[in-house]
Amino acid sequence: MAQFRKTGGSWGIVISMIVGLLIFSFVTSNNPGTFGITVLSGLFQGMLLFLVASGLSIVFGLMDVLNFAQGGFFMIGAYVAFDVHHPGGLIDLTNTIPNTDIRFIVAVIAAVIVGGLIGAALERGLLRPLYARPIFQLVLTFGVSLVMIEAVRFIWNTTPYSWTVLFGVREGYFTLLGQQFSTYRLFVIAIGIVLIVSIALLLQRTRIGIIIRAGVEDSAMVEALGINVRAVFTLVFTFGCAIAAFGGAIAAPFLGASIGMGSNFLLAAIAVVVLGGMGSYVGTAAGSVLVGLAIAVVATFSSEYLNQPVWSSMTPMLLLILVLLLRPSGLFGERR
Amino acid sequence: MIKRERQWLLLLILAVLIAFPFIVGALTDSSPTGVPRGDRMIMRGESVRWQAVLIEVYLLAILAMSYNLIFGFTGVISFGHALFFGLGGYIVGLALEFTDLPTGLALIVGAVGGLATAALIGLGIGLVSLRLRGVYFAIFTLAIAEMVFIYFGRLQLTRAEDGFAITDLPTWLDPTQSRLTFYYIVLAIFALTFVFIRRLVNSPTGAVFKAIRENEDRAGAIGYNPLTYKLIAILIGGMLAALAGILQVILNKKVGPELLSVGFTVDPLLMTIIGGAGTFVGPVLGAASLHLLDTILREQVVTIGTTTISISDSWGLILGLIFIGVVLVFPQGIVGTWMHWRVRRQMRRRAVTESPGQNARVLQSDHEPPDRATSID
Repeated sequence: MAQFRKTGGSWGIVISMIVGLLIFSFVTSNNPGTFGITVLSGLFQGMLLFLVASGLSIVFGLMDVLNFAQGGFFMIGAYVAFDVHHPGGLIDLTNTIPNTDIRFIVAVIAAVIVGGLIGAALERGLLRPLYARPIFQLVLTFGVSLVMIEAVRFIWNTTPYSWTVLFGVREGYFTLLGQQFSTYRLFVIAIGIVLIVSIALLLQRTRIGIIIRAGVEDSAMVEALGINVRAVFTLVFTFGCAIAAFGGAIAAPFLGASIGMGSNFLLAAIAVVVLGGMGSYVGTAAGSVLVGLAIAVVATFSSEYLNQPVWSSMTPMLLLILVLLLRPSGLFGERR
Repeated sequence: MIKRERQWLLLLILAVLIAFPFIVGALTDSSPTGVPRGDRMIMRGESVRWQAVLIEVYLLAILAMSYNLIFGFTGVISFGHALFFGLGGYIVGLALEFTDLPTGLALIVGAVGGLATAALIGLGIGLVSLRLRGVYFAIFTLAIAEMVFIYFGRLQLTRAEDGFAITDLPTWLDPTQSRLTFYYIVLAIFALTFVFIRRLVNSPTGAVFKAIRENEDRAGAIGYNPLTYKLIAILIGGMLAALAGILQVILNKKVGPELLSVGFTVDPLLMTIIGGAGTFVGPVLGAASLHLLDTILREQVVTIGTTTISISDSWGLILGLIFIGVVLVFPQGIVGTWMHWRVRRQMRRRAVTESPGQNARVLQSDHEPPDRATSID
C-alpha cells in the first residue's frame, strides 16, 4: 500500500486523462454506437500494448535492459500462431485437429513456447556477457530485431497474411447501442484484464514476485542475500518474450501477420513504458489503457472531422512528450 | 597533442583521397568527370561511380562524427539524430523547389535555414534535457523524431511518402553534371569537420564535455553548469547532422521522409560504436567500413546448390549479424580494440626490457584497457 500512497497524485492524472478522453469522445461522436466502438477498440489496443509493454517494463526495471527485440517477439508470435492455425505452412494441423477452437489454443501455446525459447536463448547466449555495458545491450537487441525480421521474411515471405480460418469467438457478433461488435475484441480485453490482475498477484503475493520486486529496487543487494539473480534474470526475460509472443498470437486473428507489426507496436509500447514510469508495473498497466484509449479516440475524431488518420499514429508520442514535460520520470516513476 | 608522425599519416590519407578519382580513373581507364554528350555530362564509368560511394561515406562520416560529439564525448544518448539530418535535407529541398528565388540564392537560403532550424531545435531539445536524464531523454528525442517523421510522411505539400525530386541545382554543384567538383566540396567539408571536432574536443570546452561524460554531478560540483555544455554539444552536433542531411539531398537530388526515419539515427549510432565511441577516427572508420561493406555486398550473389540468393535481399540479416558480432567481439570498436592491443604490446615489451624476471607475471595478467578510449593521440 505504501507504494500506492507515495504515487497517489499520478492516479489523479491518469484517471482525469481517461475520463477527459471518454467525455471528449462521447461529445464528438455522431451516435452512441461510434462511441462504443471507439471505447472497445481503445481497450483492445490497450490490452495488446500491455502485452508488449509489460515484458519491456519488468525486464527494464530488473535488468536495465531496454529490449528492442520485444516487437520482434510480438511479430513472431503472430506468425507462429497463423502458421499453426492455417492449412499449409511449416506445421499443418488442419487434419490432426479439425476443431478450429482447439487448434487456435494449440496455436497460441505454440507461439508462447517458440517466443519463450528464443527469448531464453537470447538472454543466455547473447545478453549475459553484456550486463556491464547497457548501451551495447541496446545495440545488440536492435541487431537481434533486424535478424528476426529477416528470419521471418525468409521463412514466411514478405506478403502480409490476413486471418482467414475463423473460429468460435472470432466469428461471433453482438449488438449494443444499435451497433454490431465483434466478440473477439471483448475476448482479448477480458484476457488482458485477467493477465494484468494475475501478473500483479504474481508480483505481490509470491516468493518469486518478491524477489523480482526486490531486484527492481537493487539487484546487487538481492544477490548479496544469496539469491541467484542471474537465474531470475533469465526467467523474467523469457517470461517477457513469451508474453509478447502471446500478444502477437492473440492479435493475429484481428490484425493478421506482417513484417512491420513488431516495430509499430514496439514504439507505442516504449511510449507506454516510459510515460508509465520505467520499471513500474502499475504505471505500465495504467499507461497501456491510457495510450490505447487515446489512439482510438483520436483515430475516430480525426477520421470524422479532420479527414486525416495521421494524428492517431502520432498519439502515443504526443502523449509521451506531454507526460514527460509534466513528470520527468513518468507517471509512476521514482523521482531521482 | 597530435604526434607529428600521426599528423603526417592523416595528411597522407587526405592526399590519397584527393587523388582518388584520378587513381581509379587511371586504373580502370575511365574519365573522372564522366562522359560528355552534347553540352551535358553523362555519369558513366568506374571513377564517377566510386566518387558517389565515397561522397556518401564522407557525409555519413560527418553524421557519425556529429553523433559521436554528443554520445561519445559528452555522454548524452540521443535517439533523435535523424531529426536534424532530415530537417536539414527537407529545408534545403523546400528552398530549392518551392520558392521562386534564383537557384544559387535558394541554395544559400536553404542551407542557412536548415542549419538555423537545426540549431533552434537543438536548443529546444537541449533545454528539455534540464529535466530529463539518461534513457528518459533518449526516448524523448525518439518520440519527437518519430512524430516529425510520421508528419512529413503524410504531409501533402512535400508529396507525403513519395517525397520530391530536386530538379533545380546550379550546374557546378549538380552531382549528375559535375560530380568531381561536388566530390571535392564534400571532401573539404568532411576534412574541416574532422579538424573542427578535434579542436573543439581538445579545447577547454571539450574537457568539460568529457568531464560531464565521466560524471555529470561532479562536473557540476566543480562549477561547470552541465546544462550549458550539453546544450553546446547538442547544438553543434545537430548543426553538423543537418549539414550532412543537406549534402545527402544534393547528392541524391531527392527529398523524402526516409531522411527522417530511425535508420538515420541508428546508422550513426552503430558507426560510432563499431568504429569506437569517444575517439576521433572511430566514427569515420565505422562509416567507411559499414558503407563500403554495404556497397560491395549488395552486388554479390551467393549460389547454394541450385538456388541463388542475392545479398541485397538479406542485407538486414547481415547488418544485424554484424551488430551482434561487433558488440560481442569488439566491444570497444575498431579503434578501441586497436588501442587495447597496442597498450598490451607496449606493456609486454616494457616488461621484457625492464625486468626479465617479472616477464611471466605481466604476460599472464590481463591488462585492462583504459575505461573508455578518450582519443587516438
